[in-house]
Amino acid sequence: MVQIRLPEKSKVKKGNYYKDKTGSKNLRKVNVYRWDPSTEENPRIDTYEVDMNNCPSKVLDILNKIKNEIDPSIAYRRSCAHGVCGSCAMNMDGKNGLACTKSHSEIKGDINIYPLPHLKVLKDLIGDLSTLYKQYESVEPWLKNSKNISERENLQSKEDRAKLDGLYECIMCACCSTSCPSYWWNGEKYLGPAVLLQAYRWIIDSRDEDRKARLKKVADELKLYRCHTIMNCTNACPKGLNPAKAIASIKKMLATS
Amino acid sequence: MKNENPLSPHIQIYNWHISSLVSISHRIAGIINLTAVTLICFWVAYLLLGDENYQIIYIFLNSFFGKFLILGIVWSFSFQILSEIRHLFWDYGIGFDLKVANITGLIVIFGSFILTVLIYLVGNLF
Repeated sequence: MVQIRLPEKSKVKKGNYYKDKTGSKNLRKVNVYRWDPSTEENPRIDTYEVDMNNCPSKVLDILNKIKNEIDPSIAYRRSCAHGVCGSCAMNMDGKNGLACTKSHSEIKGDINIYPLPHLKVLKDLIGDLSTLYKQYESVEPWLKNSKNISERENLQSKEDRAKLDGLYECIMCACCSTSCPSYWWNGEKYLGPAVLLQAYRWIIDSRDEDRKARLKKVADELKLYRCHTIMNCTNACPKGLNPAKAIASIKKMLATS
Repeated sequence: MKNENPLSPHIQIYNWHISSLVSISHRIAGIINLTAVTLICFWVAYLLLGDENYQIIYIFLNSFFGKFLILGIVWSFSFQILSEIRHLFWDYGIGFDLKVANITGLIVIFGSFILTVLIYLVGNLF
């Protein structure tokens, strides 16, 4: 159901202001979404003045700096810091991306950091992705092959392998799915760009023998056709992939098969 | 004391892109067009009731508001036709590249105004 406004308990209030203590002249204001599950309070926006003279280039560096030097209570996910693991996906400057690959010099004015949109917040910048993972499981993202292939490599032609380019690179960071208005309004039923791109990755794999069943499973008014080509997903993908195109490819296969 | 987890902000904070703007406008234009076609049907049916009715509608459509209404409908039809052509190419699997999609989006936006002016000028000839 389309609900434009946030529920009363989710409305964001003004939070604390952390003034700079280093005396640096090169300061930037960083507004961060905070929510503490141990209190009854609404989410708030805390503002930190960050000394940019001693801060590396990415948004994740700012968050690390805040956590290490200003406010250790802030919670966010991060791991590899090189755009490979997808843990630090969040909304920065109104657009989803990975904090570890997004340069703060690209952002003009104050830096606004929110969790991924339209998720149940667990704490601060951490959103609950369990629905998405369940949906991922539902497309059975593993190779289905009746041949006994345990003894040697399962070979693929160069052309067939090339079909997986632009699909296998997906790191499941959920930037695309949580940028999609269709997924916001129908997230329980619509699979969303991330999961559909994964579904297509197995549909198009020449080694997989379950193509027909996979297509049939995904061919659903809500699961697939809630995609209205808004293209927020492709705009958001930090790996430069094109989920909108993958979804269109599934639709095309269904229309022509 | 179990607290209810909040929902993170979504449309309130998310940036608009050309593609999302064209997408929502496409839907709004669709609703306008549907209403417009319905009204035109009523208009035609109304004419069957006599020539006085023709005069009333004629005066209304020649007023400033009437002209504004007609131009608005012409724009929304132009917009949806161009946007629908874009969708047809997408259905064929063409034009998903981000750069291409942005350019075609801009073509739809500016093209709809150009088409509106053209239709207005052609209409003025008759």
